[in-house]
Amino acid sequence: MSTDVGAFAEFTDGRMCVIGVGGREIGIARWNGTVYAVSNRCPHQNGPVCAGILSGRLTAGAPGQLELDAEVPILACPWHGWEFDLRTGKALHDLRHRLHIFPVRVENGRTLVDLGTASKVAMG
Amino acid sequence: MYRGPVIDCDVHHARATDEELLEYLSPAWRVYVSDRGPAGIMPLTVQDGLPNPHGFMRADTYPPTGGPAGSDFATMRRQLLDRADVRRAVLTFGDDSHVAGHHNPYFATELARALNDWSIDRWLSADLRLASSIIVASQLPDHAAAEIRRHADNPRMVQVMLVDNPFNYPFGHPVFHPIYQAAEETGRPIAIHGGAGGWTNPASTGGGNVNLYFEAHTLWPQVVMTHLVSFISHGVFDKFPGLRLLLIEAGSAWLPSLLWRFDAEYKGLRREVPWLKRLPSEYVSEHVWLTTQPLETSPKRDQVIELLSWIGGDRKLVYSSDYPHWDADELSHVSSRLPEAWHRRVFFENALEFYGWTAADLPASAAMAET
Repeated sequence: MSTDVGAFAEFTDGRMCVIGVGGREIGIARWNGTVYAVSNRCPHQNGPVCAGILSGRLTAGAPGQLELDAEVPILACPWHGWEFDLRTGKALHDLRHRLHIFPVRVENGRTLVDLGTASKVAMG
Repeated sequence: MYRGPVIDCDVHHARATDEELLEYLSPAWRVYVSDRGPAGIMPLTVQDGLPNPHGFMRADTYPPTGGPAGSDFATMRRQLLDRADVRRAVLTFGDDSHVAGHHNPYFATELARALNDWSIDRWLSADLRLASSIIVASQLPDHAAAEIRRHADNPRMVQVMLVDNPFNYPFGHPVFHPIYQAAEETGRPIAIHGGAGGWTNPASTGGGNVNLYFEAHTLWPQVVMTHLVSFISHGVFDKFPGLRLLLIEAGSAWLPSLLWRFDAEYKGLRREVPWLKRLPSEYVSEHVWLTTQPLETSPKRDQVIELLSWIGGDRKLVYSSDYPHWDADELSHVSSRLPEAWHRRVFFENALEFYGWTAADLPASAAMAET
C-alpha cells in the first residue's frame, strides 16, 4: 500500500527530512532529483540514522587520492559513523548490514512510499 | 613433544669483534670508522639505553672460545640447530639489527650493506640450514630498496627486516614505501622485529618513554601493534598486494582484540580511509603472520589457544626460538603449550608457506646441511 508523504517539490535536494508514518519514523531524502525513503533506525545500535550526514560517496584509488562520487547518496549514522548507500540500504563496510529501504515513486507531483513491501532488515 | 622438521624464524647471529665487520666496509668508510687514533673504532652498533639486569643473552650461550652470544657457529649448531630436526634457521642479527637507529643515514646505509655481505660470507657459507634477513637502513628508503634488489638473486637472503624507526611515523607511512616496492618486486616478505628504542626511535611506547627494561619488554607488542595498524591504514597491502608481513617477537595473543577493535573503527571511520577495500582483519588474514616467541602463557593452556584460534593460529603462527636471547622459547616448551594438531603447521609448514618454499628447497636433514 502506498502512502503519500508529500509533494515532490517540497523535498529539497541534498536534504533529509524525517516524517512519522503509521507510528514509524521514515526519512525522506532527495538526491540528484531522486527520492529515497528509509527507516530512521540504524541496524548497528538502533540509532536515529536519518539525523546523520547525507553526502556523496568518498572513494580513493590509492591512499590519499580522495575522489567524490556525487551520484551516490551516502547516509552516515550520527551514532558511530556507519555509512549506508541509500540506493540499496547496504553499509559500505559490510554488505550484510542494511538500512530498511522503502520503494518510492513520484506520480503527479506526489511522493508515494510503499510501506508494505519493505526490503528485509538485516540485523547484526 | 614435536619431533618433526622445524623452521626457526628468529635466530640472532652476531659479530665476534668489530674488526670482523671492517673488511666488509668500503675502504673510505673503513678509514672513517677506524682511523681515530687512540679513540679507537667508532661505535658500530646502536645500544638501547635500558639494560637488562640479567644481560640480554642466555648466559649459557656465550661461546667457550670467547666472544658474544650468537657469534660462534659451532656453539649455535650444538645448542640450537642439532638439538632438533631444524631444516632452516632464519638469521635476524643481534645488536646490528638496530642499524636504522643510527643518526647518520649515510653511515647506516654503508653498515647495512656491509652487514648483509658479512652475513652471507661468514654465516650462510657455514651451513645450508641457515638463511639470512636483509637488514636495511630505512633512513634512506631509496638506498634501502637498492640494497634489497642487490640480493634479489640470492634465495637465502629471505626477508627484509625492519626494527628501528628513523622517522617519527610508523612503518605504514609512504616514506617507507620504496622498501616495500623493492620487497614485493623481489618476492621478499617484510619482517618487523619488536624491540627498538632510543637513538633515532620515537618514544618506545605510545604513552611516552618508559624507564625500566621491565616496562619496555612488557610493552614491546605495543610498538608492533602501531606498525601493523599503520601498514593497513595507509593501504600498504592495496598498493603492494603481493607483500607478506611477519611480526617477530611481539607475541600474538593480543591480535584478536586489536582486530575486533580495528574492524569496529573501520565501520565508523571508512570515510577517512576510503582506499581500503576490506575489513582490517581481512588484510591481516591474507598478509600477516606472527612468530610464536614470546608465547603468551595463560593460567590454563586452553585460554590462550582459544584466543589464538580467533586469528587462525594453526595457520598464521610460525615457530621462533629467539636464540640466544635471555627470553628464548625452547621448542619443547612451545610444543607443550600448543595443540598437537597445530604442531607440524606451526613448527614447519606455515613458514614454508610464508616464505614460499617447498620442503624440497631445504636441506633434508642435519647430516646433509654442511656445505
